[in-house]
Amino acid sequence: MNRLAKLFTLISLFWLAGCENSLVVKGTFPTPLIDKLPHTLGVYYEPEFAQYVYKEESQDRSMWTITAGPAQVEVLSKVLPEMFTSVIPVTALPSVENPSQAELIFSPRIDEFQYALPRETKVNVFEIWIKYNMRIYNATGQLLADWLMTAYGKTPTVFMTSKEDAMNEAAVVALRDMGATLSLRLPEVPEIKAWLVDHKPNPLSDPNAPLTQETDAPPASASLSSSLTGSQPEEGQQP
Amino acid sequence: MNPNNLLRCSVIILLTAVNACTSVTIDEYRQGTSHIEEGDAVVLLGRRHSSDYETEPDLVDCIGKIISKGDDGVNVVSEREFTDQLYPWFEPRTAPMSMKRLDQIAERTDFANALDTFNISYIIWIDGNTETTSSSGSIGCSIGAGGAGCFGFGTWDKESDYEATIWDYKNRTTLGTISADAKGTSYMPALVIPIPLIARVQANACKGMAAQLHNFLKPNAGINAPGAQ
Repeated sequence: MNRLAKLFTLISLFWLAGCENSLVVKGTFPTPLIDKLPHTLGVYYEPEFAQYVYKEESQDRSMWTITAGPAQVEVLSKVLPEMFTSVIPVTALPSVENPSQAELIFSPRIDEFQYALPRETKVNVFEIWIKYNMRIYNATGQLLADWLMTAYGKTPTVFMTSKEDAMNEAAVVALRDMGATLSLRLPEVPEIKAWLVDHKPNPLSDPNAPLTQETDAPPASASLSSSLTGSQPEEGQQP
Repeated sequence: MNPNNLLRCSVIILLTAVNACTSVTIDEYRQGTSHIEEGDAVVLLGRRHSSDYETEPDLVDCIGKIISKGDDGVNVVSEREFTDQLYPWFEPRTAPMSMKRLDQIAERTDFANALDTFNISYIIWIDGNTETTSSSGSIGCSIGAGGAGCFGFGTWDKESDYEATIWDYKNRTTLGTISADAKGTSYMPALVIPIPLIARVQANACKGMAAQLHNFLKPNAGINAPGAQ
């Protein structure tokens, strides 16, 4: 009888363990091929962002715990130095009394994190969707833009591959998508575009500045940002 | 060998050798002639912009492996290496959907240089997926003091639908398209032991597509392309 009870307990534990999945997102992230904006960027990661962990609360779903914070900081550490001529870490947001040396301060936040499993959607893909709030401040701490940006990643189910591996791959695709969207679209965000036009470096004072626009040319902000990013909206592409 | 063991071995060999049938239809539409020189390479990329399916990376790998085999094999650059080197221009939501868009991006020197390091002649987009279209039957398994066993019968249909679009990067033209449609029904009778008779739909679509693609890229190499059955 004792043996039967032990066996029952063991089976129950296996059953319960099967309902919980834990994942620390890991991947390798490339550096982007983009033009640098001739400005200094300060980067401030709140602890909630840098150590972000998603825990599924719903009792009706598998209990996933997904640690995405370190991986998203890793993506940004590859992308941001290619977007700006200088990137410096800052330990707090600046204020009028305590301004930053950087011209812009970048502080991202996660507003929403969602995942979907094949058995929930009846589609053979694992999906991850993240809604970011990319907040940009000026040197005195004034909020210039809070850009809501979504990142999406999916990966097909593969025979003999664990759910954790599939979910990790979906998360890596979502984080690459975040890096791609950030690097190509940030200079097109209206508030940032306006700031860039107002803060064009003077080519006479900096002969190495990459901008080649004539100083007396009309303020064509669209062409400016497109020349900086090389990106144009693609017909039929999702924004 | 004991006759009983011989019988068991024969049954196992028969079961592993038997596959359910798959039918594959290949179509080709050619708009120009292809020409690959020594050292030229191609890259196969999966289209992943659709929200309701995903071109499987293993299918893209499978085609790449087959067309690169043998003396007449084509140099194939790995999809991951290519997309990493050209990040962020070939991500699911940023990849060029048309040759015109690729032409615009290729005006960037760093982008063109990165492509030149791979010596890419052709960019081949693979779009499609394999899905289970229907299933029926049921199998029940039970375990008891006297042993365990399954009884029943299950069947399911799978369908693959893939299209390869070949872009000539050097001449900035679309060279043609190849489509591969494969269908097959798998069976699983269970009489104590379940016996799977699997239709290898995706694998056959891969082989058919790869053979046609090899002939498309290297027409002089003959019809017996690597992987062709």
